[in-house]
Amino acid sequence: MIPRFDFSVAVPAKEVNMAGVFACSLLTVFLFSPDSARAQDNYEIQVYPSETMAPKTLLVELHSNFTVEGSTTTQFGMLPTEHQEHETIELTQGINEWSEIGLYIFTAEKSGNEIQWAGDHIRPRVRVPPRWHWPVGVSLSSEFGYARPAFSNPTWSWQIMPIVDQIIGRWYWSVNGTMVWDIHVVPPPANFTTEQKQTYFRDVAPRGVTFGPAATLTYAPSKYYNFGVEYYSYYGEWGNFVSLHNQQQQFFPVVNLFVSPKWEINFGAGWGATAGTDHLIVKCIIGRSFDWSRHRPGSSKSAQ
Amino acid sequence: MNRRTFIAQAGAALAGAGLAPGGFSWAQIQPDVRLEIAPLELEIAPGKLVHTVAYNGRVPGPLIRWPEGKPIVIDVLNRTSVPEIVHWHGLEIPTDMDGAAEEGSPMIPPGGQFRYTFTPRPAGFRWYHTHAFAGHDLKRGTYTGQFGCFYIEPKSDAGAYDQEIFLTLHDWNAYLAASGDASMDAAYDYSTINDHMLGFGDPLKVREGQRVLLHLLNASASIIHWLALAGHELTVVAMDGNPVPTPSPMPAIRLGPAERVDAVATMNHPGIWILGETREKIRKAGMGVVFEYANQQGKPRWIDPPETLWDYRRFAKPQGMIRQPDQVVPLRFESNFHGQGAVATWKINGKSFPQTDTIMLKEGLKYRLQMINRSGDDHPLHLHRHTFEVTSIDSKPLMGLNKDVVIVPANATAEADFVAKNPGATLFHCHNQTHMDFGFMTLLRYA
Repeated sequence: MIPRFDFSVAVPAKEVNMAGVFACSLLTVFLFSPDSARAQDNYEIQVYPSETMAPKTLLVELHSNFTVEGSTTTQFGMLPTEHQEHETIELTQGINEWSEIGLYIFTAEKSGNEIQWAGDHIRPRVRVPPRWHWPVGVSLSSEFGYARPAFSNPTWSWQIMPIVDQIIGRWYWSVNGTMVWDIHVVPPPANFTTEQKQTYFRDVAPRGVTFGPAATLTYAPSKYYNFGVEYYSYYGEWGNFVSLHNQQQQFFPVVNLFVSPKWEINFGAGWGATAGTDHLIVKCIIGRSFDWSRHRPGSSKSAQ
Repeated sequence: MNRRTFIAQAGAALAGAGLAPGGFSWAQIQPDVRLEIAPLELEIAPGKLVHTVAYNGRVPGPLIRWPEGKPIVIDVLNRTSVPEIVHWHGLEIPTDMDGAAEEGSPMIPPGGQFRYTFTPRPAGFRWYHTHAFAGHDLKRGTYTGQFGCFYIEPKSDAGAYDQEIFLTLHDWNAYLAASGDASMDAAYDYSTINDHMLGFGDPLKVREGQRVLLHLLNASASIIHWLALAGHELTVVAMDGNPVPTPSPMPAIRLGPAERVDAVATMNHPGIWILGETREKIRKAGMGVVFEYANQQGKPRWIDPPETLWDYRRFAKPQGMIRQPDQVVPLRFESNFHGQGAVATWKINGKSFPQTDTIMLKEGLKYRLQMINRSGDDHPLHLHRHTFEVTSIDSKPLMGLNKDVVIVPANATAEADFVAKNPGATLFHCHNQTHMDFGFMTLLRYA
């Protein structure tokens, strides 16, 4: 369901048994290099709308993201993002007029390596029903799951995301207030000093709730496509945001195509505005919906 | 200029011309029917109030039952703060009495009154409703409770039924929501049959063995409805008031806005049953009524009918020769997208009303309306002041089915023939209020 996106998964992991000297030097590189402080979630780059899928309808989406220019070094055991290809399958099933449930299967690939499973998340979402006549669409998403430490830090996480959106004529905007609780983060190297550990838990793997809003604004010249910009960010832990240098700030010019009622396509190229952001990512989402009600259009049981 | 300004200017022109309604003296003749248009708080369920406008303080308005061929005098008083007008739907009457400002019928000013005088014809199940512009104001026009049944009694009625029941479908509290065609269209909070939501009105009393004739009218401003009577089949005997050549039993009946169906139900399954919308969401919103057999008790039951597709051909003549028309009138329907958060404007042959090209008719000739629907919506198309014969749906021919509203399926073509035999301006439009207000209409005039 476009437009929407999520910025929940993945932060860099670290080898727990990493040698101390290596870890220190790596942390130094990490903190002062243009690569990410907290590795970026490039698995499903999508701003969500408040609308949920219709009951008995399944949306299958393939998210394809390629990091053209990203981190080039392994950070706390997490692989460099540059030239990584991420393929994520997202399945979203409508439950009733105001709720849906989503499932993600994350995979990663880098040239010369096989496709690797990166993790899975599950995402129930509820919305304010249209009959409440609110001036804006509002929904609440909750995403929980695991990702392998080679691809994500934290490994276990729980995301809460309020979504507010509105259509005004040809314009559409949506804001996703993404908050992630890092349930299990990869511990810092054992020989880290107290100060280094503090830095690690502040900039790399916060143990509290982090904040990273996302938003989109699009304009529809035709009912078959719209274009606009998507914004993704990571500010850090609530009450203890990381410096702007280490924040993630990314802007994607995007085009959404609605070639048929069953298909939706999203293209975008993202430019990272800070040193903490992958500098260039291209993404594509292809979605196809399936009606499981098996009702024929226009029949006595069809919603039409 | 849009439909609103067109109506306003037409009304002003009529007033300026000093067209007194019918040239009569109000005091001299007592009307046969008196309709008062006024605001109404309608309690469709305990504590559920709908603020609307209605005729004579009730929904539907009073049933007008009148012998075919006998002149009728109807006084309409407008007790609202906006101009109003009453359209006599399906009646073949003169333009100035038809009740469409686009044709030249006068609007009734706030606080004013108008006398409609005409001879109702043809016989059958017709209806009356407001023909006012609503636009973005979803508390006006056919979104309100301004509708009622008009039954023109045939000179000879076989009367093969034991009981007759008039049922009107309506949707309430309209608001704009996303639709299937990418633009906004009306959606609703509640639905009713007659004036109550399912479970809150008096049940309809029937007896075992009765043949009950149901006169079903979809008075919704924009929704196509499906109806079924749980545990029973409904035999369709007439459409839009005109007997069908092949009466057929159906598990469910489809009604576009403004369509009517006369159906006979044989009461052969004692119990307490629901006649309601086949789609649970709309039934739960209130569209249903209870049928109660004598000496039966218990909770009303609903049984889903088998999934049903609607095919007009089922009720048409099996085969035969159709006289070819003298002229084919191609009418191409398209929408203009103004954003997913806006209402689309509609075009007939590339133009929105009132810029549409007027179609000129010659009295006595037979015309074929070739309705080419290039949109993703089904549209209920209505021709004023004439009855047409549906001759094809999606390239499948049929004959003998006489109607005044036909649903043209999405991305398909339907054809309907009529003989130009009622001179005067004649309106042709989609009966979805949003669509007609935003351009989906055109005028036919006699040369």
